[in-house]
Amino acid sequence: MKKNPKLICKNVWKLFGNNPKDFLLKHNNNPSDDTIKKEGYIQAIRDASVEVFENEILVIMGLSGSGKSTLVRCMSRLVEPTIGEIFFEDINMGEISKKELIEIRRHKMGMVFQHFALFPHRTVIENIAFPLEVQGIGRNEREKSAMEIIELVGLEGRENYFPKELSGGQQQRVGIGRSLAVKPELWFLDEPFSALDPLIRKEMQNEFLRIQSALKKTIIFITHDFDEAIRLADRIIIMNEGKIVQIGSPEDLIMKPADEYVKEFTEDLPRERLLSVKSIMTKDQNSKYDVTVYENEKVFKIVEKVLTNGIVRVIDNNNKTVGSIDKETVSRFLYN
Amino acid sequence: MISNIQNNKKITFFLLFIITFILYFYGKEIASYFDAKWIIKYPKHYIFPISKYTSLFVKWLMDEATFGIFSFRDLTRFIAWLIQQPYNLILALISKGFLQGQGQDAVEILPPLSWISVITIIVSMALYTKDKILVALVAFAFFYLVIFGQWESSMVTLSSIIIAVPVGVIIGLILGILSYKSEILERIISPILDLMQTVPVFAYLVPILVMFGFGPVSALIATIIYSMPPMVRTTLLALKSIDPQIKECGLMSGCTERQLLWKVLVPVSKPTLMVGVNQVIMLSLNMVIIASMIGAGGLGYDVLASLRRLNIGVGFETGVAIVVLAIALDRLSQAFVNIPARKRKKNISFFKKNFNIITLFIFIIVIYLLSPFLPLIKNFPENLVFNTSLFWEELVKYININYYDNLESFKVTLLTYFMLPIKRFFLGIPWPWFITILTITGWYFGKLRLAFLCLVLSLFIVVTGLWEKAMITLYLCGSSVLIASMIGIPLGVWAGVNARANKALTVFIDTLQTLPSFVYLIPVVMLFRVGDFTAMLAVILYALAPAVRYTAHGIKNINNQIVEAALICGCSPRQLLFKIKLPLALPEILLGINQTIMLALSMLVITALVGTRDLGQEVYIALTKADIGRGLVSGLCVAFISIIADRIIKSGSNKLKDKYGMI
Amino acid sequence: MKNFFAIFFSIFFIGFSSSLSAVESKDPIKLTLHDWTGQLITTNIMAEVLKKAGYNVELVPADYIAQFAGLQTGDLHVAMEMWETTGRDAIDEYTADGRVVNVGSTGMDAIEEWWYPTYMKEKCPGLPNWEALNDCAEAFATPETSPKGRYLGGPVTWGGFDDERVEALNLDWEVIHAGTDAALFAELESAYQRKAPIMLWVYAPHWAPSKYSGEFVDFPPYTTECYTDPSWGINKNSAYDCGKPRGPIWKVASSMLKDKWPGAYDAVEAFTLDSNEMGNLVASVDLDGNTVEAVVADWMSSNEGRWSTWIK
Repeated sequence: MKKNPKLICKNVWKLFGNNPKDFLLKHNNNPSDDTIKKEGYIQAIRDASVEVFENEILVIMGLSGSGKSTLVRCMSRLVEPTIGEIFFEDINMGEISKKELIEIRRHKMGMVFQHFALFPHRTVIENIAFPLEVQGIGRNEREKSAMEIIELVGLEGRENYFPKELSGGQQQRVGIGRSLAVKPELWFLDEPFSALDPLIRKEMQNEFLRIQSALKKTIIFITHDFDEAIRLADRIIIMNEGKIVQIGSPEDLIMKPADEYVKEFTEDLPRERLLSVKSIMTKDQNSKYDVTVYENEKVFKIVEKVLTNGIVRVIDNNNKTVGSIDKETVSRFLYN
Repeated sequence: MISNIQNNKKITFFLLFIITFILYFYGKEIASYFDAKWIIKYPKHYIFPISKYTSLFVKWLMDEATFGIFSFRDLTRFIAWLIQQPYNLILALISKGFLQGQGQDAVEILPPLSWISVITIIVSMALYTKDKILVALVAFAFFYLVIFGQWESSMVTLSSIIIAVPVGVIIGLILGILSYKSEILERIISPILDLMQTVPVFAYLVPILVMFGFGPVSALIATIIYSMPPMVRTTLLALKSIDPQIKECGLMSGCTERQLLWKVLVPVSKPTLMVGVNQVIMLSLNMVIIASMIGAGGLGYDVLASLRRLNIGVGFETGVAIVVLAIALDRLSQAFVNIPARKRKKNISFFKKNFNIITLFIFIIVIYLLSPFLPLIKNFPENLVFNTSLFWEELVKYININYYDNLESFKVTLLTYFMLPIKRFFLGIPWPWFITILTITGWYFGKLRLAFLCLVLSLFIVVTGLWEKAMITLYLCGSSVLIASMIGIPLGVWAGVNARANKALTVFIDTLQTLPSFVYLIPVVMLFRVGDFTAMLAVILYALAPAVRYTAHGIKNINNQIVEAALICGCSPRQLLFKIKLPLALPEILLGINQTIMLALSMLVITALVGTRDLGQEVYIALTKADIGRGLVSGLCVAFISIIADRIIKSGSNKLKDKYGMI
Repeated sequence: MKNFFAIFFSIFFIGFSSSLSAVESKDPIKLTLHDWTGQLITTNIMAEVLKKAGYNVELVPADYIAQFAGLQTGDLHVAMEMWETTGRDAIDEYTADGRVVNVGSTGMDAIEEWWYPTYMKEKCPGLPNWEALNDCAEAFATPETSPKGRYLGGPVTWGGFDDERVEALNLDWEVIHAGTDAALFAELESAYQRKAPIMLWVYAPHWAPSKYSGEFVDFPPYTTECYTDPSWGINKNSAYDCGKPRGPIWKVASSMLKDKWPGAYDAVEAFTLDSNEMGNLVASVDLDGNTVEAVVADWMSSNEGRWSTWIK
């Protein structure tokens, strides 16, 4: 099954310093880390290539300073990449005019910010209707659409509040609502929940998943929290010092970390809660055991079944046998 | 290693100090020994006649410069005309009435708004903020103007404020935005702003008169030049300090550049922008007196005229009128920033929504229609006007007769043991050495750039032949700042730790800053005679404010956890103050002293009126002789002194803040 | 509503237009007002006279010297008092290219000289003769100048050569310069209240000589040679060994006045008052508390014979 890429980054670099373009050209567009440092440049993104597929949640994960924010800003053209190309729905973002860029942002992109970035002088509804306002949509019409969004993000009754009258979680609901006002196809979320309390954060994550299950957007989500990444992601990009270290599904990262850096993140995770049966089963379509488990069930849910029965059959959603899993595999996985 | 460097530093400082003293004591002997009199006094024939060229340039500009279709004079006159129109409108509306014809031929077509209407409008504005104290304050202020018979003059002054403030704010906003957008422009504008803020107004009054013609418009333009720079600076600061995410959010919402600016950046930074507006208001009111010298009329003219007649009491009452006007406008503008956000009510008819405004409007129309028939409405009855001037005159007389000798001996002591040694010191140091020391100081605090700045600016003062006057300026300013700091910093500490003291001191300081110095200059002359001491007193009174304000701010802003930590460690209140609070507030206090220096320098021009012999006098002489070049050049010298002081102190303060990690 | 304004408008306008008479131009002639009473009176009298002649007059507050910029450009038209003693440099500078013209004397003479209050005569009986100055220098001393006498001179901008005079006449006095005349008279007021010693620069016509009783010092009378020729006078090696010159108070005008309102120019030229008359008018305002307008109206009604000839 070949998925459609919605957005493609090809060999994107971002360096800060004097004339970084000339510098890159001088070094064949591939200077070493040392050369960059020696010549006084700061490397924000190094040779990043990514494809973002339609309707997936792609999480970019990295610690502060890893270049994840810059990468996302290059994708949305808030920051000009030094070199490299970005295609959005086959449009080369580097070649379009300012006007076209504004049009794309007005209709196809939305973004949520870490510190909410709400306009303090506007009420909730005015904040959410803002992107529609700048398009020149009349007051009645835009407030009608804004009210729908307000319902979607669960802020009914607070539409005339000012941001400072809301709690952090509510403020970010406004931020989310505002980014959805134009019904974007590509949705950027830049650490949207990092500034919130842990409990609220969890609630907002659920809320986010709920909204996504209804809207099915293509999402690029930044976080520095690996748990959050695993919880939300279809695929995860791990970044370190401006480089993309690994791209893969949560399972891939846990089972096959690309290097020590990734391994450090994954090591202490409760893997049985994160991984599904599929990722540790033995592929054996001919197994005949009576007791069955689904391939998408998380491992911890089936541990008891396997331990009592010694070995069980794994089936997919169509009840087709896809493999088996036995006591030894499970114990090795649990206690390794 | 570190202690070694520290020691080296100490030794260097010590050496420089010793050399300075030797040169101070034996400068003359050394100079005559080497037969190098130039060390002490810069030779006259090397003085570069910059002022002559400046005068010639301005003359050329006005008489000959042309842009082809129109001349430079046409341009300036056009600008003057442009400003004149709204000014005339406002003046007619609240003061003079709408007139047909000119001069005494003029006929009143429509009367001006009655004092009742103006007060109603202002009080309604205060009511709109829902702040009861403010309402009382504003009502008190404007009734003061009525009851003390200052209404007519104060409305003339108010008209010029109503024009000068918006024009200053708009130009400031635009320049701020432009320099936010273009770094090159920012670099060009910034030094110009420095000069606008530090060149004494007297220095550019004459060129302005020549360019824009005599009358209120020139006064307005001078006011705008003087009061606009803080607006540019706050705009730039406000825009720069906006959370980048807000800007990104605007961009991601698909804002065009203009939408981003006017729908996002400017509204978001409104609270900070209002601080700038506030500054513009206060500075405009500071200019009232000087503006009246070139035809603005109003309260400023009343102050000048009454003091010329030695009518201290009337001068005082009028001065207080300026103060209450300033404080009322200031508080009103501040309150408008902080109006609690109100929820938009839906489905209410236009009439209901604007009920208050409509009532106000009807009331004013009714009063307006009644005014030709009821004299009370047109003019406040004269027999109800209050007059306290006799009281003030008697008070000064009483002090003069009974305490003059005590004051005299106090003055003589201070003069002999404090001021004269400072004066001798500054005048005794040979100028080459002084410049060397300045450059070294610049190097220490700000490396090459600052050292270069100090060198060039102080050389300018030398080659224009104004070195000696500059040294007297330094001496007067220096001794005033010393005393102002000695009084101001403790007051500031007190205000910083005691909320009630803070409130009282704020009122006191606002009064000192907005009360025109002329008002107290004359009584001070009566009690202390003309001379440096009187000048110093006036400067101290005026320049005290920032020392108090910044100290209080620095003390109040210390992180509470640090204070708690100190208390847990067992600090006594005294120890807390001296070991924790004062050191931490030091960078802020330094900035306060910096501001005190700036104000002191700006005041020196005015103290020339009581007979000082410094650069201020030079500027004043140039003004009275209408010598454009001389005025501008000596004005620039004053500006350069304050720029040097400002840069050195700010770098020092930043160095400290950096050390404490407070940036 | 509309009607109301219309009536308003027409009443005033018709009522007024009847008083128009034939003059060269109905544009307002702008006269400058300064901040001393004498000048206010002179200017107001001139304004009233011009009004009687049918001219349109506007009074504009302006600074004594700064006004020249306006006179030069034609923004201002008449300045009624320009003192020989303090305004000479400015007159010379601005009349040079003909854009400002000297319209002649007001008929008043300015006196400027060392002055002391009468009560000081007890301590220094030799006064007003200047030769007594050295004997009682100490009586006029202050801690800063002691043992020398303290003489409070005018602002340096006034010139006056007092430092030179002290030198030339070998006086044991020190000259202290006040910055403005407000400061000058503030000191006088203060000293007078305490009956304290004071010697200062006083000029007339001014309210001070009427308010305070006192005298001018008698120096050797001024001649041009005294200021220019060292060998003249008591001190053979030095100039300035005499008193100050007493000079006329001039009227100056923008050259535009003559071009645009020749009749008005003639009236300004014809205007004269004498010093004593002015002294009384000033005292009536500053000491008796009458308003300038009332004093001027009074003068106008009692001197119709004089001013009517100015506007013939």
